[in-house]
Amino acid sequence: MDSVFSQLSVMGSSLALIFGLILLWRRGVTAYISAFTWQSRVITAVTVVVAYFGHDHELYWVAGALFILKGLVIPRLLRRMERRFAAERELEPYVNTATSLVISGLLVLFGYAITRPLVALSQLPTRAGMPLAMGLVLVSLFVIVSRKKALTQVIGFLMLENGLALLAVLGTYGIPLIVELGVFLDVLMGFLVMQIFVYQIHETFESIDVEQLNRLRH
Amino acid sequence: MIGYVLEVAQAALALLLAPGLVGLIRWMKARLQNRRGAPVLQPYWELGKLFRKEVVVSNNASWLFRATPFIVFASVVAVTFLVPILAVPLPFDGVGDLLVVVYLLLLGTFFLSLAGLDPGSPFGGMGASREMTVAALAEPTVALAIFALALSAGSTNLGQIVARTMTDPGAALSPGHLLAFGALFIVTLAETGRLPIDNPATHLELTMIHEAMVLEYSGRYLALIEWAAAVKLLIFFSLLGNLFVPWGVSVTMTPSTLAIAVASLLAKLVVLAGVVAVLETRIAKLRLFRVPELLSVSFVLALLAVTSSFLLR
Repeated sequence: MDSVFSQLSVMGSSLALIFGLILLWRRGVTAYISAFTWQSRVITAVTVVVAYFGHDHELYWVAGALFILKGLVIPRLLRRMERRFAAERELEPYVNTATSLVISGLLVLFGYAITRPLVALSQLPTRAGMPLAMGLVLVSLFVIVSRKKALTQVIGFLMLENGLALLAVLGTYGIPLIVELGVFLDVLMGFLVMQIFVYQIHETFESIDVEQLNRLRH
Repeated sequence: MIGYVLEVAQAALALLLAPGLVGLIRWMKARLQNRRGAPVLQPYWELGKLFRKEVVVSNNASWLFRATPFIVFASVVAVTFLVPILAVPLPFDGVGDLLVVVYLLLLGTFFLSLAGLDPGSPFGGMGASREMTVAALAEPTVALAIFALALSAGSTNLGQIVARTMTDPGAALSPGHLLAFGALFIVTLAETGRLPIDNPATHLELTMIHEAMVLEYSGRYLALIEWAAAVKLLIFFSLLGNLFVPWGVSVTMTPSTLAIAVASLLAKLVVLAGVVAVLETRIAKLRLFRVPELLSVSFVLALLAVTSSFLLR
């Protein structure tokens, strides 16, 4: 039973990581949004699995909220933004695609290295997925610093948050519901604020390339 | 003794089935695109026709050009003896492990690109240079992806990897296996010249890779190369099928289990052919400069597979 549980959770976290890697390989915003949507759904599924095998009923509510917020609402808002910025493709990132893929592989290795003590300490059957969740966090951070378009960075931030949520679920079977709700509200608020920023950047520079912000220095 | 008979039978089966597999993919693709399509057996007639045709060789070609078809064909035939297609363990398991398989396949690719350069035609040189770009990235990925399986089986022997996965069915769903499957699938498309990397359906397209190298070949030489390419596709499909989903492979050498092995091999080939046909209908060819990026995706997948099977042992 436990082995099925740990297999499922590790598989879910690998899938979440692969959806994170899509951000580095594809260039169109549409692909980013569907990658984010599917990643959120996979994380919802992992949460449901943890709730079922860990006998934690609160987690079902968390999974439900996660699905509604990140699986439905935010993708919908993202699609609305995409309609306006569909032409803004990630053509010249700071780090080219092949190099960033290799770097992300190394980052995942690094994730394995730094979660080693954590995994050794933990007794939970889900512990094997924690390095992958940490890898997802690191890869999303790398997306944020290596990509130029504001929309890509926003999606990178959302994936970072997904990685943290996954890490919390795998490492501790989830944090209390009230804290989780607070985090969800924060994500929604953060996203709305960023959305306003993206529109403002576009208004000022006719582009969502954050490199343009350098012009503000003069 | 029965082991050796089985080895020969397995190689013969691979050689016989290979053109049919190519024909099946073409037929499925045609049906998916609302065309009637050539019959599944068409590649056999084409090979037969090519074997009867006269060979035309350029005046500038050296012995290398004439030797290459035989080297390419011999290397894939040698591989069919080493790969677990129907049964494990086989007597030749001790002769070569996964590294031998990977480098025998690379040997064929290497000579094919030399032969592309040999007659001095511009297309051949272009194809050879592209093929080397792809091979240089694809070959380590194949080795790395199978290494991920070898780590959990504790042996680089392909037969033992299959036997090990059969005794421990849970391992087939471990992230190491799944990631390695993804990596090996992308590499299979690259190595056998399928769609996102190379278009097998057209000649004389400016982005062709495999077709450009063999453009100078004709008659029985071309037949041998085409047949070898088909066998290579079958080898990769049976690696994908048998290494990752080993059920059906015979472990005892009784007639009934062997019948099951043949049936399950056919089923796996049909499923994989269907997947490739759907994929080739849905996606367009990648720009040549995007190909190394796709291959680095598969390299990263293989690297992650090795990492996770190494650390989760």
